[in-house]
Amino acid sequence: MTEASADPRPVAEALRPEAAEEVAQVRASVVEVLDEQADLRRTHELMVGAQGHDPRLHELLTAELGLLGLVVPEHLGGLGLDVSAATAVIEELGARLVPGALATSLTAILAARALGPSAEPLLARVVDEQLTLASALAEDGAGWDLEQTVTRATGAGDEWALTGTKTLVAGVEAARVVLVTARDTCGGLGVYAVDVAAGGVDVRTHMTLDQTRRLSTVHLRQAAATRVDAPGGEGARVLLDHVRAMLALESAAAARACLDRTVGYLKVREQFGRPIGSFQALKHRCADLAVAVAGARATADHLVATLRTGAATRSHDAALAKLVCTDTLMTVAAEAIQLHGGIGFTFEHDAHLFFKRGKSAQLLAGSPAAVRAEVAALAGL
Amino acid sequence: MSDEQFRAEIRGWLHEALTGPFAEAVGTGGEGREHEAHELRREWERHLGRAGWIGLGWPTEYGGRPATLAQQVIYHEEYARAGAPGRLGHMSEQLLGPTLLAFGTPEQKARFLPGITSGEDIWCQGYSEPDAGSDLAGVRTRAERRGDSYVVTGQKVWTSLAHLADWCFVLCRTDPGSTRHAGLSYLLVPMHQPGVTVRPITQLTGTSEFNEVFFDGAVAAVEHRVGAEGEGWKVAMGTLGFERGVSTLGQQIGFRRRLDAVIARARENGAWQEPALRDRLVEAYIGLEVMRHSAVRLLASAGEGLSGLEASISKLQWATWNRSLGELAVDVEGAGALLTGPGYELDDAQTHFLFSRANTIYGGSNEIQRNIIAERLLGLPR
Repeated sequence: MTEASADPRPVAEALRPEAAEEVAQVRASVVEVLDEQADLRRTHELMVGAQGHDPRLHELLTAELGLLGLVVPEHLGGLGLDVSAATAVIEELGARLVPGALATSLTAILAARALGPSAEPLLARVVDEQLTLASALAEDGAGWDLEQTVTRATGAGDEWALTGTKTLVAGVEAARVVLVTARDTCGGLGVYAVDVAAGGVDVRTHMTLDQTRRLSTVHLRQAAATRVDAPGGEGARVLLDHVRAMLALESAAAARACLDRTVGYLKVREQFGRPIGSFQALKHRCADLAVAVAGARATADHLVATLRTGAATRSHDAALAKLVCTDTLMTVAAEAIQLHGGIGFTFEHDAHLFFKRGKSAQLLAGSPAAVRAEVAALAGL
Repeated sequence: MSDEQFRAEIRGWLHEALTGPFAEAVGTGGEGREHEAHELRREWERHLGRAGWIGLGWPTEYGGRPATLAQQVIYHEEYARAGAPGRLGHMSEQLLGPTLLAFGTPEQKARFLPGITSGEDIWCQGYSEPDAGSDLAGVRTRAERRGDSYVVTGQKVWTSLAHLADWCFVLCRTDPGSTRHAGLSYLLVPMHQPGVTVRPITQLTGTSEFNEVFFDGAVAAVEHRVGAEGEGWKVAMGTLGFERGVSTLGQQIGFRRRLDAVIARARENGAWQEPALRDRLVEAYIGLEVMRHSAVRLLASAGEGLSGLEASISKLQWATWNRSLGELAVDVEGAGALLTGPGYELDDAQTHFLFSRANTIYGGSNEIQRNIIAERLLGLPR
């Protein structure tokens, strides 16, 4: 096992209250907009529409609230806030299953920020040009196993060309730049930025089981690219860890929201002359869900602390939180359908949105079995 | 003092004590092992007390030592890490002490807290009865007021360490006509007196840490009643909050040691090569990480104390986890786990397997915890 996970220091770190006021302000302003503009009725409309998301809401959150620049350092034109400001936004979007490219953008920005000086030109562009970002890692047959990446990068310095096919890319239908993992001619794995509108880029967006999250295949044929990470580093791993972090944070928040809705229903729905929430069989199941949600929340919070401090346990903590939080969402959402009875099985009801989101979060960026094996390996088991 | 300095101090002190006069006490006591090394562990309590390691965060006038919440966590971590003996003073320090600090009179604090911080007095908890386990409102033990004393009559059960204890904090009925939560009082009763009989109960482990305690005309001073007459329920619930609240980070270190031992054993005997067993071991590792992060989060948000609700979540988590690990420990051993030593002497895996069944029953069963979470956290109707 890793000494790191037995290290007592994070405890003392976590027990120290932080200056969380700015983060709370960001969260409050996002919540205000989302509560007004992004309830699940709206999601129902959007997910069956042509675009699958709400460009007007995206504009509001980015151009007006300036969320893309939230955690971009000040010297690059951003607000330079703490990592947790962006993770709070990802949670609020996740809790409401908001379709679109803001969460994927913030995720790519957080990853770029963690990459250091090599990613600064990209981060400056993000603020200047209000760039919406996506991350493309998976490939046919290889999934998210970075070792098996075959997409090729040829070139040098600032001028690269990528050739290959990336699958299951989230948010790219609304993105202007996509971060792509590719292998250079020396075999080194790197992260490259590709303008979606550039020549040699073909995006095919698919209908999806989880209609709140469209997925695309991105074909690259000698597509012009710039390198984002430093050669010889672990940029691709950083990107994967952040994508997992996004799925974890979204899922922990969605699980909580789904449980709250279900409990709310059990309090008012009457059968046999009593609210069904008074039946101990149902209460105990809800209690177990509440414990699972609390556990998921704790792993997500720990992950945010890890990302904030840049701790060496990042890959371990991201994999573990991704596993625990997405499994929890899946469990809570499955129970939500059952506890709502027949109404929970209808298309009209919201329960299936959480259920399908849970499955997409579980299977994206590594299946539960694959991620569990990774956690074990990273823990030295 | 910085946290680092504090950690170095307790670590150094434990190392010195446990390689010196108390070397034989290392690893003794604790769950399923309370029958071990009583005399030595009693002396250990006094040794801890003399060095000022009991009552961290309590007022110094009662023998306490100033310590932040983080330092208290560090203390428990280092204690567990060092393999220091299971505390005979656990209930004294973790349950009665906080109860007196919260509900006791200045005289009661001055009378009883120094006995705890010096490691001199051992306390046991007189709550459960044959007909009132988790449903404490069914308590029937009576206390009749006669002048300056109460005369206590009735029976308690599942009383841990009663056979070693000097005092018992007893929940009893002072209003004969009362029912349920009303009419109960919280009395401090000396164990060494006529009218108190302790009968050990042999558990399914073959050992005894629980007892039946019979009160037949035992006497408690009126001035040793904590809280007002008839308000014992409120005081008792406060104590239970402390009981469920102590399961924090020190405990995690102990769990980690157990898990590490089971994994090491699985590697050694080849069980690790069994995919189904390996998956359960990895699951146990993940479950422990979740508990660890939950505990940190709890402490970070709790400030000075844990709410009963947070403690209920933690109790349900760890009790269930530890029970599963107990099963895993013997499954990893395989059929070899079926042989015991002479006199039904159990090894660590066997003890863990058997004793951990108690975890989900004592201190409020899993079912009680689920009701608390459902009703008080989620607001579901009764």
